[in-house]
Amino acid sequence: MRAARWNVSKLGLTYAPALLYIGVVGTFGILSPSFLSIENFLNIFVQCSAVAIVAIGMTFVLLTAGIDLSVGSIMFLCSAIAGVSVVRGDLPISLALLFMVIGGLFCGVVNGYFIARKGMAPFIVTLSMLFVARGSGLWITQTRAMNLPDTFRQLATTRVLGIPVPVLVLAIVLITAHLILTRTVFGRQLYAVGNNPVAAERAGIDVPMVLIAVYMISGTCASIGGMLTLAQLAAVSPNLGQGRELDVIAAAVLGGASLFGGRGTAFGAVLGAVLVETVRNGMNMVDANPYVYPVIIGLIIFAAVFLDSNRHRQLARLRKRKIRTEAS
Amino acid sequence: MLRNWHLPFVVVLGFGLLSGCSEPSEQLRIGVAFETLQTEYWVASVEAIEAELRRRNIEMIEAVADNDANRQLDQIHILIARGVDGIIVSPKDSMTVIPMIKAANRANIPIVIYNRPPADNDGQSVTVVADNYEIAKATVEYMAERAVETGRKYKAMILIGDLGDINAIARRDGFDDAIRPFSDIIEVVARVPTEWSQDKALSGVTSALQVNPDINFVFASTDFLFPPLISALRTAGKYKKIGEEGHVLLGGFDGDPLAYSMLVERYLDADGVQDVYFDCAASVDAVVRMHQNQIVESIIRDPGFVIHQGNLEEKAGQMWGAQIARSND
Repeated sequence: MRAARWNVSKLGLTYAPALLYIGVVGTFGILSPSFLSIENFLNIFVQCSAVAIVAIGMTFVLLTAGIDLSVGSIMFLCSAIAGVSVVRGDLPISLALLFMVIGGLFCGVVNGYFIARKGMAPFIVTLSMLFVARGSGLWITQTRAMNLPDTFRQLATTRVLGIPVPVLVLAIVLITAHLILTRTVFGRQLYAVGNNPVAAERAGIDVPMVLIAVYMISGTCASIGGMLTLAQLAAVSPNLGQGRELDVIAAAVLGGASLFGGRGTAFGAVLGAVLVETVRNGMNMVDANPYVYPVIIGLIIFAAVFLDSNRHRQLARLRKRKIRTEAS
Repeated sequence: MLRNWHLPFVVVLGFGLLSGCSEPSEQLRIGVAFETLQTEYWVASVEAIEAELRRRNIEMIEAVADNDANRQLDQIHILIARGVDGIIVSPKDSMTVIPMIKAANRANIPIVIYNRPPADNDGQSVTVVADNYEIAKATVEYMAERAVETGRKYKAMILIGDLGDINAIARRDGFDDAIRPFSDIIEVVARVPTEWSQDKALSGVTSALQVNPDINFVFASTDFLFPPLISALRTAGKYKKIGEEGHVLLGGFDGDPLAYSMLVERYLDADGVQDVYFDCAASVDAVVRMHQNQIVESIIRDPGFVIHQGNLEEKAGQMWGAQIARSND
């Protein structure tokens, strides 16, 4: 009996975020039947694909106990580069996309270099990059909105085997990230650096190189996120990606990543992004009072993080072996 | 101890300070502090203010706060410390501007609030603001009258701005009050909060169109949200020109270059226009007159206007977005 209760508790705690998600889906499904359609779920995945991809990159950074505040601005800068290349430079879209990735990679290298080689705090370096990237983007666009050719939008609307391209891109990034984190030496090094950088260094891990790599991954993911956002909007607007860093960090933390490093998964980051978008989508579906949106989203984020922190404490307690001392 | 070789430096420094403090320069200097330059509307506003100041041979000192109200307050203090003759500020919201007004009042420097009126306070300032409520109401009324002409029933959606922005609230109220008399043929089925964000607008409009695929009347509280709206309508196969089967009655607010293009291409039915040139000229005029100790009314309202297919040629000259669009061509 006690063993069965223990198993149920363990199961419930292990899958707490998934149970929360099922609860959210169930609630909106009852309130609006069309919420449960396949098309709507595809829509949710399309809408959150950009944030989810950037959240995967952010998870790599969080695993090392770092933070990347510049991702929203990198999304904008890369989009601005693409916009200028296509609209003013008449370059082919494929080249513009390549420039976007190079731009994200470059910003990541700069972040990583100053954090890993110069020992500067990630918060400060990436905050500086936030301003530099956004300022540079505004400079090259001159704060003018740029409407891109409709072929750009086809990147977001095209379907392969019935699945929208943004969802496919998300799946590719997710599987790649998951394999890197779970099946490679680099992945294990990441967790080691996040748990104890000094011990990791003593164990022979090149900690600075690991740090540079995670910021490069984060920058690249931000550029891919920018690409998907741009494809959906078909326009470079001056506030593209603004404040996105907070959505991205929230998604990663919702998915179980720890701000103190050493904990987090790629699947968790995607689940976090999907959860927030599901709530937003559900409230649109039931035509909720606009004032309620931030309150509900805030409560869901709080509930998820509260459940997660409790989950780890409780699981640790349940797993602790009980040793009885013999009476003297 | 002052050494001999220090003396020339001290004399030069002293003259410099005296000339800076005691002889007021003839040219006026006006500080222009904007909360952001991140939409074309704000850029057009700064450029129009700069042009008006240049026309009057007034020097402009510009500051941009990048959406940070605290930074903007610091910038106002710096402008005051630099001894400007007047300040034009476009604040982040109606509350955070109050300490800026108080600071300018203490320094006896006239201050004009551009575009976003301050909340009730006992400070002295002049506000130049578009009549957001009336312009939005007139725009939606025009759309509703077109809807009546078709003899069909309509399902409406509004894209609401940031609920903390008094202008967004005024536009939403204008929409509601304009729609109410037409409630027999227009039913509001979706209210999408966007926080002035294109990403959120795209997500919200896409969801709303999924649950209500028959939405055929849309008002965007700013033209800035047209790109995501167009994208979502295109995906749903609903972005059609006026006169085409399935055309969605579209309205917006601001008068930006994209809205002008959409009017010309006959996708957009009506757009409420803030008269940027009037607002900017009135702001400069007010701050100069306050500096000359003249009495200026505390609120100068820009009545704005509605531009639509019927008056496009006539009104395009007053539409700031049309000027930019034409200069880009």
